[in-house]
Amino acid sequence: MSEPVSRAGLLAIYICSFLVGCVLMGFEMLGSRYLNPYFGSGIGAWASLISTVLCALAIGYFAGSAIVDRQPTTRTIGTMILIAAAYMALVPATADTVMADILDTIGDGPSATLMAATALLLVPLTLLGTFSPIAVSLLTRSAGEAGRVAGLVYGVSTIGNVVGTLVTTFALIPTIGSRAITYYFAVILAGCAAILFIPFGKKTS
Amino acid sequence: MEPASGSPYWSCLSAARGLKGRLSRDAMLAAVYARSIQLRETVKSMLIRSVISGALAGLVSIAAASAQDTRNLLESKESLYNNIYVYEQAPYRSMTFGHNRRIYTESVYNTRDELDLPVDYTRFMTASVMYAKDVRSILEIGFGGGRTAWYLHRFLPKVQVTSVELDPTVLELAKKYFGIKEEPNFHVVNRDGRLYVQESKERYDIILIDAYRGPFVPFHLLTKEFYQLIKDHLAEGGVVAQNVEPSTMLFDAAVKTIHSVFPQVDFYEAGGNIVMVAYPGDERKPEDLAAIAQERDNEFGFRYKLADMLAQRKRVDIDNGQVIDAKAKVLTDDFAPVEALKSIERHNRKLP
Repeated sequence: MSEPVSRAGLLAIYICSFLVGCVLMGFEMLGSRYLNPYFGSGIGAWASLISTVLCALAIGYFAGSAIVDRQPTTRTIGTMILIAAAYMALVPATADTVMADILDTIGDGPSATLMAATALLLVPLTLLGTFSPIAVSLLTRSAGEAGRVAGLVYGVSTIGNVVGTLVTTFALIPTIGSRAITYYFAVILAGCAAILFIPFGKKTS
Repeated sequence: MEPASGSPYWSCLSAARGLKGRLSRDAMLAAVYARSIQLRETVKSMLIRSVISGALAGLVSIAAASAQDTRNLLESKESLYNNIYVYEQAPYRSMTFGHNRRIYTESVYNTRDELDLPVDYTRFMTASVMYAKDVRSILEIGFGGGRTAWYLHRFLPKVQVTSVELDPTVLELAKKYFGIKEEPNFHVVNRDGRLYVQESKERYDIILIDAYRGPFVPFHLLTKEFYQLIKDHLAEGGVVAQNVEPSTMLFDAAVKTIHSVFPQVDFYEAGGNIVMVAYPGDERKPEDLAAIAQERDNEFGFRYKLADMLAQRKRVDIDNGQVIDAKAKVLTDDFAPVEALKSIERHNRKLP
Protein backbone atom coordinates (compact mmCIF):
# COMPACT_ATOMS: atom_id res chain seq x y z
CA MET A 1 0.00 0.00 0.00
CA SER A 2 1.11 3.49 -0.67
CA GLU A 3 1.13 6.71 1.27
CA PRO A 4 -2.35 7.21 2.74
CA VAL A 5 -4.52 10.02 1.43
CA SER A 6 -6.92 12.25 3.33
CA ARG A 7 -10.69 12.36 2.74
CA ALA A 8 -10.34 15.52 0.60
CA GLY A 9 -7.61 13.74 -1.31
CA LEU A 10 -9.93 10.82 -2.05
CA LEU A 11 -12.57 13.16 -3.40
CA ALA A 12 -9.98 14.99 -5.52
CA ILE A 13 -8.81 11.73 -7.05
CA TYR A 14 -12.35 10.67 -7.98
CA ILE A 15 -13.13 14.09 -9.48
CA CYS A 16 -9.93 14.00 -11.50
CA SER A 17 -10.69 10.44 -12.54
CA PHE A 18 -13.99 11.65 -14.00
CA LEU A 19 -12.50 14.70 -15.72
CA VAL A 20 -9.55 12.76 -17.15
CA GLY A 21 -12.04 10.20 -18.48
CA CYS A 22 -14.03 13.02 -20.14
CA VAL A 23 -10.99 14.51 -21.83
CA LEU A 24 -9.65 11.14 -22.91
CA MET A 25 -12.64 10.15 -25.02
CA GLY A 26 -13.42 13.74 -25.97
CA PHE A 27 -9.96 14.00 -27.47
CA GLU A 28 -10.44 10.78 -29.39
CA MET A 29 -13.59 12.22 -30.98
CA LEU A 30 -11.70 15.43 -31.75
CA GLY A 31 -8.94 13.35 -33.28
CA SER A 32 -11.30 12.51 -36.14
CA ARG A 33 -11.73 16.21 -36.90
CA TYR A 34 -7.97 16.69 -37.09
CA LEU A 35 -7.45 13.61 -39.24
CA ASN A 36 -10.37 13.79 -41.66
CA PRO A 37 -9.24 16.71 -43.82
CA TYR A 38 -5.99 14.90 -44.55
CA PHE A 39 -6.80 11.21 -44.42
CA GLY A 40 -10.51 11.11 -45.22
CA SER A 41 -13.26 10.07 -42.87
CA GLY A 42 -13.25 6.43 -43.82
CA ILE A 43 -13.29 3.41 -41.55
CA GLY A 44 -9.49 3.41 -41.78
CA ALA A 45 -9.29 6.74 -39.98
CA TRP A 46 -11.51 5.41 -37.20
CA ALA A 47 -9.59 2.15 -36.93
CA SER A 48 -6.37 4.14 -36.57
CA LEU A 49 -7.84 6.40 -33.92
CA ILE A 50 -9.34 3.59 -31.88
CA SER A 51 -6.30 1.35 -32.01
CA THR A 52 -4.03 4.26 -31.12
CA VAL A 53 -6.18 5.17 -28.13
CA LEU A 54 -6.24 1.56 -26.93
CA CYS A 55 -2.49 1.26 -27.45
CA ALA A 56 -1.95 4.44 -25.48
CA LEU A 57 -4.14 3.13 -22.67
CA ALA A 58 -2.32 -0.21 -22.62
CA ILE A 59 1.06 1.51 -22.39
CA GLY A 60 -0.34 3.90 -19.80
CA TYR A 61 -1.70 1.05 -17.67
CA PHE A 62 1.65 -0.80 -17.76
CA ALA A 63 3.56 2.38 -16.99
CA GLY A 64 1.08 3.18 -14.20
CA SER A 65 1.57 -0.22 -12.62
CA ALA A 66 5.36 0.25 -12.80
CA ILE A 67 5.01 3.64 -11.11
CA VAL A 68 2.86 2.10 -8.38
CA ASP A 69 5.87 0.00 -7.41
CA ARG A 70 8.04 3.10 -7.06
CA GLN A 71 6.48 6.45 -6.28
CA PRO A 72 2.71 6.47 -6.30
CA THR A 73 1.73 9.96 -5.07
CA THR A 74 -0.89 12.43 -6.17
CA ARG A 75 2.00 14.63 -7.34
CA THR A 76 3.14 11.89 -9.72
CA ILE A 77 -0.22 11.66 -11.45
CA GLY A 78 -0.51 15.45 -11.32
CA THR A 79 2.78 15.69 -13.22
CA MET A 80 1.63 13.14 -15.83
CA ILE A 81 -1.59 15.09 -16.38
CA LEU A 82 0.25 18.39 -16.61
CA ILE A 83 2.55 17.08 -19.33
CA ALA A 84 -0.49 15.74 -21.20
CA ALA A 85 -2.11 19.19 -20.87
CA ALA A 86 1.00 20.86 -22.28
CA TYR A 87 1.07 18.43 -25.21
CA MET A 88 -2.60 19.08 -25.98
CA ALA A 89 -2.07 22.82 -25.80
CA LEU A 90 0.49 22.47 -28.59
CA VAL A 91 -1.78 20.42 -30.84
CA PRO A 92 -3.98 23.17 -32.38
CA ALA A 93 -1.03 25.21 -33.60
CA THR A 94 1.00 22.30 -34.93
CA ALA A 95 -1.49 19.67 -36.09
CA ASP A 96 -1.92 21.00 -39.63
CA THR A 97 1.82 21.06 -40.28
CA VAL A 98 2.29 17.56 -38.89
CA MET A 99 -0.68 16.09 -40.81
CA ALA A 100 0.43 17.75 -44.06
CA ASP A 101 4.00 16.48 -43.59
CA ILE A 102 2.80 12.94 -43.02
CA LEU A 103 0.55 13.15 -46.07
CA ASP A 104 3.42 14.46 -48.19
CA THR A 105 6.01 11.94 -47.05
CA ILE A 106 4.05 8.72 -46.46
CA GLY A 107 0.81 9.29 -48.36
CA ASP A 108 -2.55 8.32 -46.99
CA GLY A 109 -2.43 4.55 -46.52
CA PRO A 110 -2.98 2.73 -43.23
CA SER A 111 0.56 3.43 -42.05
CA ALA A 112 0.20 7.16 -42.65
CA THR A 113 -3.18 7.33 -40.92
CA LEU A 114 -1.82 5.33 -38.00
CA MET A 115 1.19 7.59 -37.77
CA ALA A 116 -1.02 10.68 -37.79
CA ALA A 117 -3.22 9.24 -35.04
CA THR A 118 -0.10 8.32 -33.11
CA ALA A 119 1.38 11.81 -33.39
CA LEU A 120 -1.89 13.29 -32.22
CA LEU A 121 -2.99 10.92 -29.47
CA LEU A 122 -0.32 8.56 -28.24
CA VAL A 123 1.66 10.80 -25.91
CA PRO A 124 -1.16 12.58 -24.04
CA LEU A 125 -3.38 9.51 -23.77
CA THR A 126 -0.55 7.31 -22.55
CA LEU A 127 0.11 9.83 -19.80
CA LEU A 128 -3.58 9.93 -18.94
CA GLY A 129 -3.64 6.14 -18.96
CA THR A 130 -1.26 6.02 -16.00
CA PHE A 131 -3.93 7.71 -13.89
CA SER A 132 -6.19 4.79 -13.02
CA PRO A 133 -3.63 2.26 -11.70
CA ILE A 134 -1.94 4.91 -9.57
CA ALA A 135 -5.30 6.20 -8.35
CA VAL A 136 -6.34 2.68 -7.34
CA SER A 137 -3.12 2.26 -5.43
CA LEU A 138 -3.54 5.60 -3.64
CA LEU A 139 -7.15 4.88 -2.71
CA THR A 140 -6.56 1.36 -1.48
CA ARG A 141 -5.88 1.03 2.24
CA SER A 142 -6.00 -2.73 2.57
CA ALA A 143 -5.62 -5.62 0.19
CA GLY A 144 -9.20 -6.63 0.93
CA GLU A 145 -10.68 -3.50 -0.60
CA ALA A 146 -8.51 -3.45 -3.75
CA GLY A 147 -11.27 -4.90 -5.90
CA ARG A 148 -13.90 -2.48 -4.61
CA VAL A 149 -11.64 0.53 -5.18
CA ALA A 150 -10.61 -0.60 -8.65
CA GLY A 151 -14.29 -1.00 -9.56
CA LEU A 152 -15.11 2.49 -8.31
CA VAL A 153 -12.20 4.16 -10.08
CA TYR A 154 -12.91 2.46 -13.41
CA GLY A 155 -16.64 3.11 -13.06
CA VAL A 156 -16.15 6.82 -12.43
CA SER A 157 -13.61 7.15 -15.20
CA THR A 158 -15.83 5.27 -17.65
CA ILE A 159 -18.77 7.55 -16.84
CA GLY A 160 -16.32 10.35 -17.64
CA ASN A 161 -15.58 8.62 -20.98
CA VAL A 162 -19.29 8.53 -21.82
CA VAL A 163 -19.86 12.15 -20.86
CA GLY A 164 -16.73 13.26 -22.74
CA THR A 165 -17.80 11.43 -25.90
CA LEU A 166 -21.36 12.73 -25.89
CA VAL A 167 -20.65 16.30 -24.85
CA THR A 168 -17.77 16.67 -27.30
CA THR A 169 -19.69 15.20 -30.21
CA PHE A 170 -23.14 16.68 -29.71
CA ALA A 171 -22.49 19.90 -27.80
CA LEU A 172 -18.94 21.16 -28.32
CA ILE A 173 -18.17 20.30 -31.95
CA PRO A 174 -21.42 21.93 -33.18
CA THR A 175 -20.84 25.13 -31.18
CA ILE A 176 -17.13 25.92 -30.90
CA GLY A 177 -14.28 24.90 -33.18
CA SER A 178 -12.07 21.84 -32.73
CA ARG A 179 -9.06 23.98 -31.87
CA ALA A 180 -10.92 25.83 -29.14
CA ILE A 181 -12.15 22.54 -27.68
CA THR A 182 -8.58 21.26 -27.59
CA TYR A 183 -7.50 24.33 -25.60
CA TYR A 184 -10.39 23.82 -23.17
CA PHE A 185 -9.32 20.22 -22.69
CA ALA A 186 -5.77 21.36 -21.93
CA VAL A 187 -7.15 23.82 -19.37
CA ILE A 188 -9.30 21.12 -17.74
CA LEU A 189 -6.27 18.84 -17.47
CA ALA A 190 -4.13 21.63 -16.05
CA GLY A 191 -6.90 22.20 -13.49
CA CYS A 192 -6.82 18.51 -12.53
CA ALA A 193 -3.05 18.68 -12.16
CA ALA A 194 -3.39 21.74 -9.93
CA ILE A 195 -5.88 19.90 -7.70
CA LEU A 196 -3.54 16.93 -7.45
CA PHE A 197 -0.60 19.17 -6.50
CA ILE A 198 -2.45 20.33 -3.37
CA PRO A 199 -0.64 18.61 -0.50
CA PHE A 200 -3.36 16.42 0.97
CA GLY A 201 -2.30 15.68 4.53
CA LYS A 202 -1.96 12.24 5.99
CA LYS A 203 -5.19 10.55 6.63
CA THR A 204 -6.41 11.27 10.16
CA SER A 205 -8.65 8.28 10.75
CA MET B 1 -36.96 10.99 -72.62
CA GLU B 2 -38.40 10.82 -69.17
CA PRO B 3 -40.64 8.07 -67.93
CA ALA B 4 -44.27 9.14 -67.72
CA SER B 5 -44.70 10.85 -64.40
CA GLY B 6 -47.59 8.55 -63.49
CA SER B 7 -45.57 5.36 -63.75
CA PRO B 8 -44.97 3.46 -60.50
CA TYR B 9 -41.27 3.64 -61.02
CA TRP B 10 -41.36 7.36 -61.33
CA SER B 11 -43.43 7.85 -58.23
CA CYS B 12 -41.16 5.60 -56.24
CA LEU B 13 -38.15 7.41 -57.59
CA SER B 14 -39.74 10.68 -56.57
CA ALA B 15 -40.43 9.31 -53.13
CA ALA B 16 -36.86 8.18 -52.82
CA ARG B 17 -35.67 11.49 -54.12
CA GLY B 18 -37.76 13.32 -51.60
CA LEU B 19 -35.85 11.48 -48.95
CA LYS B 20 -32.61 11.95 -50.70
CA GLY B 21 -29.96 13.68 -48.75
CA ARG B 22 -26.43 12.84 -48.15
CA LEU B 23 -24.75 10.79 -45.51
CA SER B 24 -21.40 11.39 -43.99
CA ARG B 25 -19.12 8.46 -43.94
CA ASP B 26 -18.58 9.17 -40.25
CA ALA B 27 -22.17 8.29 -39.53
CA MET B 28 -22.08 5.16 -41.61
CA LEU B 29 -18.89 4.17 -39.91
CA ALA B 30 -20.41 4.81 -36.59
CA ALA B 31 -22.85 2.02 -37.29
CA VAL B 32 -20.11 -0.37 -38.36
CA TYR B 33 -18.02 0.72 -35.44
CA ALA B 34 -20.95 0.14 -33.12
CA ARG B 35 -21.41 -3.38 -34.33
CA SER B 36 -17.82 -4.40 -34.00
CA ILE B 37 -16.48 -2.73 -30.89
CA GLN B 38 -19.28 -2.77 -28.43
CA LEU B 39 -17.03 -2.61 -25.41
CA ARG B 40 -16.08 0.94 -26.10
CA GLU B 41 -17.87 3.84 -24.49
CA THR B 42 -17.95 5.76 -27.76
CA VAL B 43 -20.27 3.18 -29.09
CA LYS B 44 -22.89 3.91 -26.53
CA SER B 45 -23.45 7.38 -27.89
CA MET B 46 -23.57 6.09 -31.41
CA LEU B 47 -26.02 3.36 -30.48
CA ILE B 48 -28.33 5.69 -28.65
CA ARG B 49 -28.25 8.02 -31.57
CA SER B 50 -28.93 5.37 -34.14
CA VAL B 51 -31.70 3.76 -32.10
CA ILE B 52 -33.53 7.06 -31.74
CA SER B 53 -33.09 8.20 -35.31
CA GLY B 54 -33.74 4.67 -36.54
CA ALA B 55 -37.09 4.63 -34.77
CA LEU B 56 -38.06 7.99 -36.23
CA ALA B 57 -36.88 7.00 -39.69
CA GLY B 58 -38.82 3.76 -39.42
CA LEU B 59 -42.07 5.66 -38.97
CA VAL B 60 -41.42 7.94 -41.90
CA SER B 61 -40.21 5.36 -44.35
CA ILE B 62 -42.90 2.68 -44.20
CA ALA B 63 -44.60 4.13 -47.27
CA ALA B 64 -41.35 4.40 -49.19
CA ALA B 65 -40.36 0.87 -48.22
CA SER B 66 -43.56 -0.64 -49.54
CA ALA B 67 -43.07 1.21 -52.81
CA GLN B 68 -39.56 -0.19 -53.11
CA ASP B 69 -40.85 -3.74 -52.83
CA THR B 70 -41.99 -3.57 -56.45
CA ARG B 71 -38.38 -3.19 -57.50
CA ASN B 72 -36.22 -6.15 -58.25
CA LEU B 73 -33.08 -6.26 -56.10
CA LEU B 74 -30.16 -7.14 -58.37
CA GLU B 75 -27.44 -7.05 -55.75
CA SER B 76 -26.77 -5.72 -52.32
CA LYS B 77 -23.32 -5.24 -50.93
CA GLU B 78 -21.89 -3.94 -47.73
CA SER B 79 -18.80 -1.92 -48.52
CA LEU B 80 -16.29 -0.15 -46.31
CA TYR B 81 -18.45 2.95 -46.46
CA ASN B 82 -22.00 2.08 -47.44
CA ASN B 83 -24.73 -0.52 -47.64
CA ILE B 84 -25.32 -0.51 -51.36
CA TYR B 85 -28.45 -1.87 -53.07
CA VAL B 86 -28.84 -2.05 -56.83
CA TYR B 87 -32.49 -2.28 -57.90
CA GLU B 88 -34.00 -2.81 -61.29
CA GLN B 89 -37.36 -1.84 -62.67
CA ALA B 90 -36.97 -2.07 -66.41
CA PRO B 91 -35.61 -0.14 -68.08
CA TYR B 92 -34.17 1.61 -65.04
CA ARG B 93 -31.52 0.52 -62.62
CA SER B 94 -30.88 2.50 -59.47
CA MET B 95 -28.00 2.48 -57.07
CA THR B 96 -29.16 3.23 -53.55
CA PHE B 97 -27.53 3.47 -50.17
CA GLY B 98 -29.36 2.25 -47.11
CA HIS B 99 -29.14 4.22 -43.93
CA ASN B 100 -31.40 4.02 -40.91
CA ARG B 101 -33.84 1.82 -42.81
CA ARG B 102 -34.23 4.47 -45.47
CA ILE B 103 -33.04 4.06 -49.00
CA TYR B 104 -31.29 6.97 -50.65
CA THR B 105 -31.17 6.92 -54.43
CA GLU B 106 -27.70 7.86 -55.58
CA SER B 107 -27.89 7.17 -59.26
CA VAL B 108 -30.41 6.03 -61.88
CA TYR B 109 -29.38 4.37 -65.15
CA ASN B 110 -31.60 3.76 -68.13
CA THR B 111 -30.43 0.41 -69.52
CA ARG B 112 -31.97 1.19 -72.91
CA ASP B 113 -30.47 4.65 -73.20
CA GLU B 114 -27.11 5.35 -71.65
CA LEU B 115 -27.38 9.08 -72.31
CA ASP B 116 -30.60 9.49 -70.37
CA LEU B 117 -30.20 11.45 -67.14
CA PRO B 118 -33.41 10.60 -65.24
CA VAL B 119 -32.38 12.41 -62.06
CA ASP B 120 -33.02 16.14 -62.54
CA TYR B 121 -30.02 17.58 -60.81
CA THR B 122 -27.53 15.50 -62.81
CA ARG B 123 -28.68 17.35 -65.94
CA PHE B 124 -28.12 20.69 -64.32
CA MET B 125 -24.61 19.69 -63.29
CA THR B 126 -23.82 19.84 -67.02
CA ALA B 127 -24.90 23.51 -67.12
CA SER B 128 -21.34 24.19 -65.95
CA VAL B 129 -20.23 23.52 -69.54
CA MET B 130 -21.56 26.91 -70.70
CA TYR B 131 -19.56 28.77 -68.05
CA ALA B 132 -16.10 27.36 -68.62
CA LYS B 133 -13.81 29.43 -70.83
CA ASP B 134 -12.36 26.29 -72.38
CA VAL B 135 -13.55 22.71 -72.09
CA ARG B 136 -10.47 20.53 -72.09
CA SER B 137 -10.66 18.72 -68.77
CA ILE B 138 -13.39 17.87 -66.28
CA LEU B 139 -12.98 16.53 -62.76
CA GLU B 140 -15.89 14.99 -60.88
CA ILE B 141 -15.77 14.28 -57.15
CA GLY B 142 -18.27 11.56 -56.27
CA PHE B 143 -18.80 9.11 -59.12
CA GLY B 144 -21.70 7.02 -57.82
CA GLY B 145 -23.34 5.32 -60.79
CA GLY B 146 -21.37 7.68 -63.01
CA ARG B 147 -24.24 9.03 -65.07
CA THR B 148 -23.13 12.66 -65.26
CA ALA B 149 -19.51 11.80 -66.03
CA TRP B 150 -20.50 9.25 -68.67
CA TYR B 151 -22.96 11.68 -70.30
CA LEU B 152 -20.27 14.36 -70.52
CA HIS B 153 -17.71 11.85 -71.81
CA ARG B 154 -20.04 10.66 -74.57
CA PHE B 155 -20.88 14.17 -75.76
CA LEU B 156 -17.35 15.48 -75.24
CA PRO B 157 -15.18 12.51 -76.30
CA LYS B 158 -12.09 14.68 -76.72
CA VAL B 159 -12.31 16.11 -73.23
CA GLN B 160 -10.40 14.47 -70.37
CA VAL B 161 -13.05 13.34 -67.89
CA THR B 162 -11.75 12.15 -64.52
CA SER B 163 -14.03 11.07 -61.72
CA VAL B 164 -12.99 10.31 -58.16
CA GLU B 165 -14.94 7.88 -56.01
CA LEU B 166 -14.15 6.93 -52.44
CA ASP B 167 -15.94 3.61 -52.33
CA PRO B 168 -14.34 0.81 -54.41
CA THR B 169 -17.52 -1.25 -54.20
CA VAL B 170 -19.51 1.59 -55.77
CA LEU B 171 -17.06 1.53 -58.68
CA GLU B 172 -17.33 -2.23 -58.97
CA LEU B 173 -21.13 -2.11 -59.08
CA ALA B 174 -21.13 0.84 -61.50
CA LYS B 175 -19.00 -1.20 -63.90
CA LYS B 176 -21.16 -4.28 -63.41
CA TYR B 177 -24.62 -2.75 -63.72
CA PHE B 178 -24.34 0.81 -65.03
CA GLY B 179 -22.53 0.31 -68.31
CA ILE B 180 -19.38 2.06 -67.16
CA LYS B 181 -16.04 1.11 -68.68
CA GLU B 182 -12.59 2.61 -68.91
CA GLU B 183 -12.13 4.37 -72.23
CA PRO B 184 -9.61 6.82 -73.63
CA ASN B 185 -10.25 10.21 -71.98
CA PHE B 186 -12.49 8.64 -69.34
CA HIS B 187 -10.89 7.73 -66.04
CA VAL B 188 -12.28 6.72 -62.71
CA VAL B 189 -10.05 6.90 -59.67
CA ASN B 190 -10.68 5.22 -56.33
CA ARG B 191 -9.68 7.87 -53.82
CA ASP B 192 -10.97 10.32 -51.25
CA GLY B 193 -11.97 13.41 -53.25
CA ARG B 194 -10.12 15.93 -51.14
CA LEU B 195 -6.95 13.85 -51.05
CA TYR B 196 -7.07 13.45 -54.80
CA VAL B 197 -7.32 17.18 -55.39
CA GLN B 198 -4.68 17.91 -52.77
CA GLU B 199 -2.17 15.69 -54.52
CA SER B 200 -3.16 16.54 -58.08
CA LYS B 201 -0.86 18.85 -59.98
CA GLU B 202 -3.44 19.37 -62.72
CA ARG B 203 -5.88 22.15 -63.31
CA TYR B 204 -9.38 21.56 -64.58
CA ASP B 205 -11.82 23.65 -66.59
CA ILE B 206 -14.81 22.20 -64.79
CA ILE B 207 -14.97 20.59 -61.35
CA LEU B 208 -18.22 18.84 -60.40
CA ILE B 209 -18.83 18.11 -56.72
CA ASP B 210 -21.42 15.51 -55.83
CA ALA B 211 -19.67 13.47 -53.19
CA TYR B 212 -22.26 13.29 -50.45
CA ARG B 213 -23.94 10.12 -49.39
CA GLY B 214 -27.39 9.62 -47.93
CA PRO B 215 -28.65 12.33 -45.61
CA PHE B 216 -25.37 13.86 -44.39
CA VAL B 217 -22.24 15.48 -45.74
CA PRO B 218 -18.64 14.51 -45.04
CA PHE B 219 -17.47 17.77 -43.51
CA HIS B 220 -14.05 17.83 -45.12
CA LEU B 221 -15.72 18.21 -48.53
CA LEU B 222 -17.73 21.24 -47.46
CA THR B 223 -15.30 23.64 -45.85
CA LYS B 224 -13.67 26.87 -46.93
CA GLU B 225 -10.28 25.13 -47.05
CA PHE B 226 -11.72 22.50 -49.39
CA TYR B 227 -13.17 25.08 -51.77
CA GLN B 228 -9.90 27.00 -51.70
CA LEU B 229 -8.17 23.80 -52.77
CA ILE B 230 -10.73 23.40 -55.54
CA LYS B 231 -10.19 26.98 -56.66
CA ASP B 232 -6.43 26.42 -56.79
CA HIS B 233 -7.05 23.53 -59.18
CA LEU B 234 -9.25 25.45 -61.61
CA ALA B 235 -7.78 26.43 -64.95
CA GLU B 236 -8.19 30.04 -66.03
CA GLY B 237 -11.88 30.65 -66.67
CA GLY B 238 -12.72 27.45 -64.79
CA VAL B 239 -15.96 26.77 -62.93
CA VAL B 240 -17.32 24.60 -60.12
CA ALA B 241 -20.74 22.95 -59.99
CA GLN B 242 -22.03 21.53 -56.76
CA ASN B 243 -25.21 19.65 -55.92
CA VAL B 244 -26.85 20.63 -52.62
CA GLU B 245 -29.98 19.48 -50.89
CA PRO B 246 -31.75 22.67 -49.79
CA SER B 247 -34.19 21.69 -47.05
CA THR B 248 -31.96 22.26 -44.01
CA MET B 249 -29.72 24.94 -42.56
CA LEU B 250 -26.75 23.09 -44.01
CA PHE B 251 -27.74 24.60 -47.34
CA ASP B 252 -27.34 28.15 -46.03
CA ALA B 253 -23.96 27.32 -44.54
CA ALA B 254 -22.85 25.60 -47.77
CA VAL B 255 -23.86 28.60 -49.87
CA LYS B 256 -22.02 31.00 -47.56
CA THR B 257 -18.96 28.78 -47.55
CA ILE B 258 -18.71 28.42 -51.32
CA HIS B 259 -19.40 32.15 -51.64
CA SER B 260 -16.53 32.91 -49.27
CA VAL B 261 -14.17 31.48 -51.88
CA PHE B 262 -16.01 32.17 -55.13
CA PRO B 263 -17.51 35.65 -55.52
CA GLN B 264 -20.04 34.46 -58.09
CA VAL B 265 -22.66 31.78 -57.45
CA ASP B 266 -25.49 30.98 -59.88
CA PHE B 267 -28.34 28.72 -58.76
CA TYR B 268 -30.33 26.10 -60.64
CA GLU B 269 -33.34 24.52 -59.00
CA ALA B 270 -33.48 20.88 -60.04
CA GLY B 271 -36.26 18.62 -58.78
CA GLY B 272 -35.79 19.13 -55.07
CA ASN B 273 -32.05 19.64 -55.23
CA ILE B 274 -30.15 22.78 -56.10
CA VAL B 275 -27.12 22.97 -58.32
CA MET B 276 -24.77 25.84 -57.55
CA VAL B 277 -22.40 27.00 -60.26
CA ALA B 278 -19.59 29.01 -58.72
CA TYR B 279 -16.74 30.91 -60.37
CA PRO B 280 -14.19 33.60 -59.66
CA GLY B 281 -14.22 37.07 -61.18
CA ASP B 282 -17.21 39.12 -62.32
CA GLU B 283 -20.76 37.98 -62.84
CA ARG B 284 -21.27 36.42 -66.26
CA LYS B 285 -23.78 38.32 -68.36
CA PRO B 286 -26.82 36.28 -69.42
CA GLU B 287 -26.37 37.25 -73.07
CA ASP B 288 -22.75 36.05 -73.06
CA LEU B 289 -23.77 32.78 -71.46
CA ALA B 290 -26.59 32.41 -73.98
CA ALA B 291 -24.15 32.88 -76.85
CA ILE B 292 -21.76 30.23 -75.48
CA ALA B 293 -24.66 27.90 -74.69
CA GLN B 294 -25.92 28.21 -78.26
CA GLU B 295 -22.47 27.66 -79.68
CA ARG B 296 -21.67 24.62 -77.52
CA ASP B 297 -25.14 23.10 -77.98
CA ASN B 298 -24.50 23.23 -81.72
CA GLU B 299 -20.93 22.06 -81.53
CA PHE B 300 -21.47 19.09 -79.22
CA GLY B 301 -25.16 18.30 -79.78
CA PHE B 302 -26.03 17.95 -76.10
CA ARG B 303 -29.28 16.16 -75.45
CA TYR B 304 -30.12 18.46 -72.55
CA LYS B 305 -29.65 21.87 -74.11
CA LEU B 306 -27.49 24.32 -72.25
CA ALA B 307 -29.72 27.09 -73.60
CA ASP B 308 -32.78 25.53 -71.94
CA MET B 309 -30.96 25.20 -68.64
CA LEU B 310 -29.83 28.80 -68.81
CA ALA B 311 -33.49 29.84 -68.65
CA GLN B 312 -33.59 28.34 -65.12
CA ARG B 313 -30.60 30.32 -63.88
CA LYS B 314 -31.20 32.29 -60.70
CA ARG B 315 -29.10 34.83 -58.87
CA VAL B 316 -29.47 35.48 -55.18
CA ASP B 317 -28.13 38.25 -52.99
CA ILE B 318 -26.36 35.95 -50.58
CA ASP B 319 -25.44 38.62 -48.05
CA ASN B 320 -28.78 40.42 -47.56
CA GLY B 321 -30.13 37.71 -45.27
CA GLN B 322 -33.44 37.33 -47.12
CA VAL B 323 -32.86 34.03 -48.83
CA ILE B 324 -29.74 32.78 -47.11
CA ASP B 325 -29.91 33.01 -43.32
CA ALA B 326 -27.77 35.91 -42.14
CA LYS B 327 -26.67 33.85 -39.13
CA ALA B 328 -25.40 30.95 -41.24
CA LYS B 329 -21.66 30.57 -40.74
CA VAL B 330 -18.89 29.79 -43.16
CA LEU B 331 -17.76 26.22 -42.52
CA THR B 332 -14.06 25.62 -41.92
CA ASP B 333 -11.90 22.60 -41.15
CA ASP B 334 -11.98 23.84 -37.57
CA PHE B 335 -15.70 24.48 -37.34
CA ALA B 336 -18.05 22.41 -39.47
CA PRO B 337 -21.00 21.05 -37.49
CA VAL B 338 -22.57 19.45 -40.55
CA GLU B 339 -24.67 16.88 -38.69
CA ALA B 340 -26.12 19.53 -36.37
CA LEU B 341 -26.93 21.89 -39.25
CA LYS B 342 -28.49 19.07 -41.19
CA SER B 343 -30.95 18.48 -38.36
CA ILE B 344 -32.31 22.05 -38.45
CA GLU B 345 -35.13 22.47 -40.91
CA ARG B 346 -34.71 25.47 -43.08
CA HIS B 347 -37.41 28.12 -42.99
CA ASN B 348 -39.43 28.00 -46.12
CA ARG B 349 -37.47 30.65 -47.99
CA LYS B 350 -37.55 29.92 -51.69
CA LEU B 351 -35.16 31.10 -54.28
CA PRO B 352 -36.83 34.05 -56.03
